[in-house]
Amino acid sequence: MSELDRLRSGRTELENHYIDELVSGNLSRRDFLRRGSMIGMSAPLLGAILAACGSSSKTTAASGTTGTSSAPATKGGTLRIGAVTPAAAINPLTISDAGGLLMLNQTGEFLIFDSNLKLQLQPMLALSWSPNTDGSVWTFKLRPGVKFSNGAPMTADDVVYTFQQLSDPKNASNALSAFVGVLTPSGVKKVDSTTVAFNLEAPNGNFPYLVSSDNYNAIIVPNGSDYGKWQSTFIGTGAFKLGSYTQNVGATFVPNPNYWGTKPLLDSTSFKFYMSQAPMILGLQGNDVDVIAQFTPAGAAAILNSPSYKIISLKSANHRELSMRNDQAPFTDARVRQAVAYTLDRPGAVAALLSGKGTVANDYPFGPRYPSTDTSVPQRTQNIPMAKQLLAAAGHPNGFSTTMNSEIYQEIPQLAQVIQQDAAKAGINIKLNITDQTLYYGKSTFGNSPWLDGTMSLVDYGDRGVPNVYLTAPLTSAGTWNAARFHNKEFDGLVKQYVAALDLQAQKQVAGKIQRLLLAETPVVYPYWIDGLTASTPNVGGLNPTSIAQLYLNTAYKSA
Amino acid sequence: MSIVDIPVEDAGVLAAGRREIRRDVFRELLRSPTFIVGVIVLSIWIICAIFGAAIAPHSPYAQNLEEINKAPSSAHLFGTDQLGRDMLSRVIVGVRDVMIIAPLATLLGTVLGTAIGLLMGYFRGAVDDVLGRFVEAFLAIPVVVLGVIALPTLGRSNLVLIIVIGLVFTPLIARTVRAAVLLERELDYVAAARLRGERAPYIMFVEILPNVFAPIMVEFTVRLAYAIYAILTLTFLGLGVQPPSPDWGLDIAANYGVVPAGYWWEVLFDAIAIATLVVSITLISDSVQGALEG
Amino acid sequence: MVRFILKRLGLALITLWLLSVIVFALGQVLPSDPARSILGPLAAPSAVRALDHQLGVDKPVLTQYWNWITNFPGTSNQYQAPIGPILTSALGRSLKLAIFALIILVPLGIVGGVISALNAGKPIDRTISVVGQSMLTVPEFVSGIILLVVFAVELGWLPVTATAPPGSSFLTQLKYLILPVIPLVMVLFGYIARMARVGTIEALDSDYARTATLKGLPRGVMIRRHVLRNSLMPTITVIATQTGYLIGGLLVVEVLFRYNGVGELTYNASIQHDIPMLEACVLTIGVVYMVVTLVADITFSLLNPRIRLKAAE
Repeated sequence: MSELDRLRSGRTELENHYIDELVSGNLSRRDFLRRGSMIGMSAPLLGAILAACGSSSKTTAASGTTGTSSAPATKGGTLRIGAVTPAAAINPLTISDAGGLLMLNQTGEFLIFDSNLKLQLQPMLALSWSPNTDGSVWTFKLRPGVKFSNGAPMTADDVVYTFQQLSDPKNASNALSAFVGVLTPSGVKKVDSTTVAFNLEAPNGNFPYLVSSDNYNAIIVPNGSDYGKWQSTFIGTGAFKLGSYTQNVGATFVPNPNYWGTKPLLDSTSFKFYMSQAPMILGLQGNDVDVIAQFTPAGAAAILNSPSYKIISLKSANHRELSMRNDQAPFTDARVRQAVAYTLDRPGAVAALLSGKGTVANDYPFGPRYPSTDTSVPQRTQNIPMAKQLLAAAGHPNGFSTTMNSEIYQEIPQLAQVIQQDAAKAGINIKLNITDQTLYYGKSTFGNSPWLDGTMSLVDYGDRGVPNVYLTAPLTSAGTWNAARFHNKEFDGLVKQYVAALDLQAQKQVAGKIQRLLLAETPVVYPYWIDGLTASTPNVGGLNPTSIAQLYLNTAYKSA
Repeated sequence: MSIVDIPVEDAGVLAAGRREIRRDVFRELLRSPTFIVGVIVLSIWIICAIFGAAIAPHSPYAQNLEEINKAPSSAHLFGTDQLGRDMLSRVIVGVRDVMIIAPLATLLGTVLGTAIGLLMGYFRGAVDDVLGRFVEAFLAIPVVVLGVIALPTLGRSNLVLIIVIGLVFTPLIARTVRAAVLLERELDYVAAARLRGERAPYIMFVEILPNVFAPIMVEFTVRLAYAIYAILTLTFLGLGVQPPSPDWGLDIAANYGVVPAGYWWEVLFDAIAIATLVVSITLISDSVQGALEG
Repeated sequence: MVRFILKRLGLALITLWLLSVIVFALGQVLPSDPARSILGPLAAPSAVRALDHQLGVDKPVLTQYWNWITNFPGTSNQYQAPIGPILTSALGRSLKLAIFALIILVPLGIVGGVISALNAGKPIDRTISVVGQSMLTVPEFVSGIILLVVFAVELGWLPVTATAPPGSSFLTQLKYLILPVIPLVMVLFGYIARMARVGTIEALDSDYARTATLKGLPRGVMIRRHVLRNSLMPTITVIATQTGYLIGGLLVVEVLFRYNGVGELTYNASIQHDIPMLEACVLTIGVVYMVVTLVADITFSLLNPRIRLKAAE
């Protein structure tokens, strides 16, 4: 019996399926690692299988690190990090902005950690997890011996409480965007003191992502804690505990003596808040901080082009969506929508607006970050003659005029202008209506929101570990963020299939169908995917950022 | 109303009394070098505001993603910005919004301030006291602060900008007009008008107003410079003119982050433009004031 | 005299009340709602409505106004914390910056003005005047950015922000404040110098000064004893009227240099639509301005014998 056969015995059907795919070459090493870790296969096991298949077990980093190489690790010191001011009080339930969620992960931990650097799910507070046969029940075994920063032990009761609060519609948690239709409070069950089972509303092949660090609100808190008061204690199981937190100013953290894992190298961390990116970048250059937690390429030329800073860039699903009102003329005709898509010079936008730190997107929410993407679907490129042709066929030989609503956020105003310029080449005259974020989002309900109601609307979408939310909320008939008013029964059905598919191959198949459908219908134009960027001075190392603006500092160090 | 409410700078103008704004004032102005310089520079900017699109070598909105962040050269005298747009064209056209909003706002403030100042100065007593409290209340809010609270709530449009700045100027101008009217109403021609049986509005607007025109004009020019400053500052803070306008304040806000990357031209020319515009208006207002002081 | 002061105080209180009404009215005329600001743009509408009701947004306007006044300064929507302590510490920091600016500005302005006056018409007079006028017109954000980029980033001589690390010595804190203070001084120098110049020329021209010179009093002594005192008087009142510009400039400078004073607090509240905080800040700024003007008023009247005598009637 070969080594591989030996490893195969005792594995579940799904796990064996993945091994088959790996052997036949349908699954790359990287994707195998991702999928395997997602269904709960341990890292040593995965490594052994890869070795047995004759490939090296080294995980390839999904990131690029440019700039000077790291200095050797040293103990001690205080690391100063610059971050955007949290927009509200730090309440794990309701936090929805980058500054706030960065604070959550300093002391809080998740069941699973979605590592962008290694592109796989890693055990954090859950040691292992597995689905039942159809993926409607997921059972998690918790890590024993974990304590909160106040010394209290973490048990299944804490996990159950956390997820019941997160999935309860009454709490209006930001996490509901992930859990609605997937999990309700009654579905969270304690099996024993170290095991929790999630009974889902419907089979969901990507569920582990929804309780991972991707769901940035899902840090585990003590049973019964008052979320409204979390800001004063920052109670959590992480490597650091709260030193102090001052609104608008900053925060400090010190090592948690009760931490279950390896002690951090640093003596303390100190966060400084900046109201916008420009002063934050000047802060790095002026030696006010050592690290910038996350920044957007627009306006960062000073550090991106300089050899004196280390830049970590992560492939992320951070993107922008240009929706068109499918129920309003002239966008009722798919040819008109396609025409808009054909005017856009996507590589040019990536080069100019993102300084190259991004990837061109096709007109659907599947991209390089997701292994389920069907890469055989051809990439749409700028084609002005084609755009004019389509417009003429749809009855607009001389183009038309329309308006676009958008927001003042990062590079979006410039992107709006690029789109406006490009569309003008086919005779489409777009008038821009760009307002600040609060006015743009309005009440976030249909009829009360420039974002959702605009004839054209350009909005930001943050990174997520799986494309589920991008498929459901903005595009399905019942989707609450469906700015395009896209109502397509076939699409709805395909999305249901995708969400339920446990198997990567099945997901890929459905994804391919979805991608082609969306290209034909083009309810929304997706210009590009934006890399997640972190910058530091050369003497800093061991940073562990994620593409959704979290930053883990357990292994961080700062040499003299 | 405070006793010391007359700024020392305006005292001279009032003391000059009812100097007629006639040929002798104009002649003196035309002889003043500061006035000439100010008018020339201002005229250049006015021409840019009106004919900007025709003068500018390129469209200020034309992006060229291949030519971003290029230093000044013969093709682009002021260089290009982060989207490859020609900075020279943006500077030329960028003056328009300010040139429209600033005079309108100042005009609004002047008209309202004059009306209120006339009422307060002529009627005195209760009217003066009540209006005076409103005036003082508004005086207590600096324009930037009022902008910060009004613009996000009322919407960031040019109209709101005009109203906000106009309202902030009203008490300042009312103060000066009131002081002037207080002096005027003691003069004979006012008593004569009252004896003739003229009603208050007639006396205020037909008799007194023309004679306080001098300090009002000075106020207008002084406040105009301040209006420009306020618009630029509010726009820089993200509360004023909106993208994609090539407004100077907007461009500085968008580009100052890349100056350390070496792209100094994306900010410097806007800054110099701002300085020349405001200096020109200050020179004009200074010389007007000097001429009226006699 | 006492009656005079009391009368001024009384009028000031009425103005203060009016100011509160204006500020509250501004805060009311808004399209967004507090619960939406707290819960974020993606929260469910039912939750938003529930929180709004809890916050008392649907109560009649007069009731809300009364609640606001009696609970002043109230609770911040954004921070979910009492505004009072945040506001007072921010005010303290702004005061530090403002006083630092004044300490440099006033002597500089007076010296500039006096020198101008003593050399009236000569080149040095014109130079000071032109320099003052030009600096006056450069908005604080422009000079601030240039200073920031040149001295903090490129040359690295001074810190990039105005906030010294906690626990810094007084001198270190001053070092951090140097860059932000300069735009403030630049903008106000011209006006102060001009006032001082006018006041000095008038004093030099006065009968007293001429007589003293004729009687043989050395020029320097005369300047110190007579002229300076009389040019100081309008300068003091002028500083009071410049408070408005100073506060406006403070806001921009604090935002640019990341200084947690009342200016930055106000701006942040505006961006985040934290109406309670915004109203509290604006009202506080208004109060500060009124207090300064009131004090200047009273000081001026006390110093000016004509007004003192008239008030005594």
